[in-house]
Amino acid sequence: MLLRSCHTYRNLLQTRLLHTRPAYREDKRWPGWEVVVGIEVHAQIKTRQKLFSESLTSELGHTPNTNVSPYDAAFPGTLPHLNFKCVDLALRTALALQADIQPRSSFDRKHYFYSDLPTGYQITQFYAPIAKDGILKLSKHNLRVRINQIQLEQDTAKSMFDPRRKQSQIDLNRAGTGLMEIVSQPDMRSPEEAGDYVRTLQAVLRSVGSSDGNMEQGSFRCDVNVSVNRPGAPFGTRCEIKNLNSVKFTMIAITSEVFRQTALLESGRPVAQETRGFDEAKAETFKLRSKEDAPDYRYMPDPNLPPLLVDAEYVARMQEGMPELPERTRARLVARGLSERDADVLMSVDSGREVGFDGEAGSGGAVAYFDALAHGRDAKVVVNWTTHELLGQLAARKDKALTFSQNPVSVQQMGELIDLVQDGSLTGTSGKALLRHMIANPSPARPAALAAEMSLLAMTDRASSADALRALCEGAVAALPQEAAAVRMGNEKVIMKLVGRVMKESRGRADATAAAALFREMLVHSS
Amino acid sequence: MRDHLCRSLRSYSTHARRAIQAQNEAVNALVYTAEPTNRPNGPLKDLAIAVKANICTTGMPTTCSSTMLKDFTSPYNATVVNLLQEAGADIVGKTNCDEFGMGSLNVHSVHGPVVNPFNLPERRSAGGSSGGSAAAVAAGMCDAALATDTGGSTRLPASYCGVVGLKPSYGLISRWGLISYADSLDCVGVIAKDVDTTKRVFDVISAYDSKDPTAATPTFRSSAHSNLTERSIFLDGSLDGLRIGVPQEYFPAELDPSITEPFRAVLSSLQEMGATLVPVSLPMTRYALSAYYVLASAEASSNLGRFDGVQYGTRVDTPVGADKTSTRDVYAHTRSSGFGGEVKKRILLGTYALTADAFDGYFLQAQRVRTSIRQDFDRIFSAPNPLSIPPTQTPTDNGVDVLLHPSAIRTAPALPTSGTSDSRQTDLSAYVQDMLTVPASLAGLPALSVPACKGQDGWPVGVSVVGQWGSDELVLRVGKVLEGLRA
Repeated sequence: MLLRSCHTYRNLLQTRLLHTRPAYREDKRWPGWEVVVGIEVHAQIKTRQKLFSESLTSELGHTPNTNVSPYDAAFPGTLPHLNFKCVDLALRTALALQADIQPRSSFDRKHYFYSDLPTGYQITQFYAPIAKDGILKLSKHNLRVRINQIQLEQDTAKSMFDPRRKQSQIDLNRAGTGLMEIVSQPDMRSPEEAGDYVRTLQAVLRSVGSSDGNMEQGSFRCDVNVSVNRPGAPFGTRCEIKNLNSVKFTMIAITSEVFRQTALLESGRPVAQETRGFDEAKAETFKLRSKEDAPDYRYMPDPNLPPLLVDAEYVARMQEGMPELPERTRARLVARGLSERDADVLMSVDSGREVGFDGEAGSGGAVAYFDALAHGRDAKVVVNWTTHELLGQLAARKDKALTFSQNPVSVQQMGELIDLVQDGSLTGTSGKALLRHMIANPSPARPAALAAEMSLLAMTDRASSADALRALCEGAVAALPQEAAAVRMGNEKVIMKLVGRVMKESRGRADATAAAALFREMLVHSS
Repeated sequence: MRDHLCRSLRSYSTHARRAIQAQNEAVNALVYTAEPTNRPNGPLKDLAIAVKANICTTGMPTTCSSTMLKDFTSPYNATVVNLLQEAGADIVGKTNCDEFGMGSLNVHSVHGPVVNPFNLPERRSAGGSSGGSAAAVAAGMCDAALATDTGGSTRLPASYCGVVGLKPSYGLISRWGLISYADSLDCVGVIAKDVDTTKRVFDVISAYDSKDPTAATPTFRSSAHSNLTERSIFLDGSLDGLRIGVPQEYFPAELDPSITEPFRAVLSSLQEMGATLVPVSLPMTRYALSAYYVLASAEASSNLGRFDGVQYGTRVDTPVGADKTSTRDVYAHTRSSGFGGEVKKRILLGTYALTADAFDGYFLQAQRVRTSIRQDFDRIFSAPNPLSIPPTQTPTDNGVDVLLHPSAIRTAPALPTSGTSDSRQTDLSAYVQDMLTVPASLAGLPALSVPACKGQDGWPVGVSVVGQWGSDELVLRVGKVLEGLRA
């Protein structure tokens, strides 16, 4: 095991040596300029407890200041206690990003006074991070982005300013939650590559269960470094845009920042190195502070926390328990005959739920459901039923849309339903109706039994069904004389109205194609 | 029989409380007195114990002798306090100290200075920072007191007050609930009337605690213990085979000459009992003081950042019209009036040592000195340091088992009168004193001060026994012999 991991490391080293700066490709939006982007991500680690205390982590919407221990509130005399689940998930992340796990890393204090930081310092890994030198292969662009380092650190509390009462309010629920800071090299050359990086990284973190990767809810936050230069020239002066909270805004912020910087340079003015914010309403970045105002964080090795030692054997054990990475999942799904689009849909549904808290096996996402369902069945048929029918109906429920994790239809039930349709026992229409019923009325009942109970089974007995169909069609003609007349006049489109009547009367059991043929025979050919 | 026992137990505590009532007003050792409570039976049932004001207790305020925490009560108990309570100790109150443990005279206190009870009318200092703990024991207000020791804060007041003070090996006693001054140096210490009582308290509170990330694990504890039993020296009163090192650097020019003579007498007595005296040199000692103040102040500047008046403690609102736009400016009002002068001085020094420009030259340099000091000690002890990886050396026959040196450069100094308290002279001599105590702190070694000498003025001076990491038991055994010499 040890040998194998060394071998992997050597391969990695070679790929890294081969990495060269990609050739310049002109972008019509800013001809004659090359854009350089590096991204720093802060991802909340998906553990039940915080990084250094036993308090539970919180979700958005939890009552403020309910998950707080004396340590989280920086009460004097308290000491940090490292949560090894956070370490495990950072290691999984490092393995997923093919990074070099450091046998010895350590914790440092970063000092500043702010109301969201009750101790006056944040514990982070400034001098010796847990992993270095990784790679993220983007999913849509042919690009391998180098990861500089991964470090463990504490999240801050949340401070909200109430302008009416002119008061800052502090919620300590988030204080001390574990974060992974993942820093890329400046390897991206467009807003789109940056967007791809963020999405790919989200998918990777979700697949290994290390983070929910949810930008809107703040469990995944981006700081973006942007600079521009003339092709072949050295990198320009960079600006950092802080706290971007969606992929879309990240891309817009980069685009607007590129325009700002190129406009400055084209008018002969320099770009000043500064930290900038992003105004979503104006789609513009704005200055927060210049390099000169940058605070001195007075980094100091944390005197309470001993160095974090990770041996090769432990890494090997982690490697064995690694969930499947998105790139591999996608390749496997496409190999089974799914389109890229279908694979994307399956992989994005409720993603982040494949793995539970603390890296434990989760409820299984849509891919796991599909895998179980497609076992011994036609993958394309199964993916249609899963993505179009099941996911569609869950999302389209009138009273309350359900997420995939709330799906009440078991793999066995869904499989049997598909089989009933495939062998002709149910029409497609009836199958969909039955699925709707099963979603609305969750029960462990078998679909065949439900179909029989609801008289949905297709009229398979040929003799009686032919008679029944003719009777239904005649009934339709009698009920819709004007439509029947129109068909007789040659307007065949109207046949569908008559078929609709038949389907309604038969509650979906009739064969719509056979009914249309019968109408043609009755009304068009006979005249 | 049982009745008799109960009565005698009660009388112990009653005795302590009577002493508190009689003397505390003059001595100012206790800043809070607790009522007697029902206690479980345990190994410390007969002991009245006081707790230093920087150790957290739920039933009593924990002020750290600071305006910042003058009305603060902790929501939890320190691990050591729980251990004492479970062992049945009668916790009589909280003891005065220098603010946040910073000081050598116990004069930097919101509760006022502690007066040394050895001879009250002379108004001498009880030493610091655990002056209240040492004075409370010396005045009979308790049998033992929890102290803390970052650079000598247990040993120095013990020396000045004529009581026993133990700074154990770093990591043996849980720091959970000890309000940090400098985490990498802070130790909970024990001050008691005699070595036996010191050991009884130490044995109860020296337990692994998972809440303290720097706690020595059971593996290290047993490794240190086996080093000790392997030597199997000095088990039956005789000191045959015991090698005592006398470090030449511990006799600086500032050492009061009147202390040297009685210290020599102690050495000869030990020699007569069979011990071998070995002159040793710890050349890095002269850098210890500077390294100590850089590291301790740096950590203090970090640790005291949490006192901002938001979550707990004193809060000073911004004056009308003050700039409230930056958090820093809002905190500044609370921090400026909540901390005393000595604390502010160390925060500023430490803040500077951690700035990007000074970090390499001050903080990192001090850390290198600290490593060298540790190596100095490892070179001269016969036992290996269980914490060194790999062990710096194998035990040699040339090494020493313990070191012996005076605990202080002089007997207790007079309390500064209000006119002299801020004079430069007073401040510097207080720092020089630390030279004898900070090396063991920097190296994390056990050090015990036993009142074995008297100065020319008739006041007590302690003799310090310093051992290899984890050899606290040996240090206490040697201390017991020293104590016998006094009698």
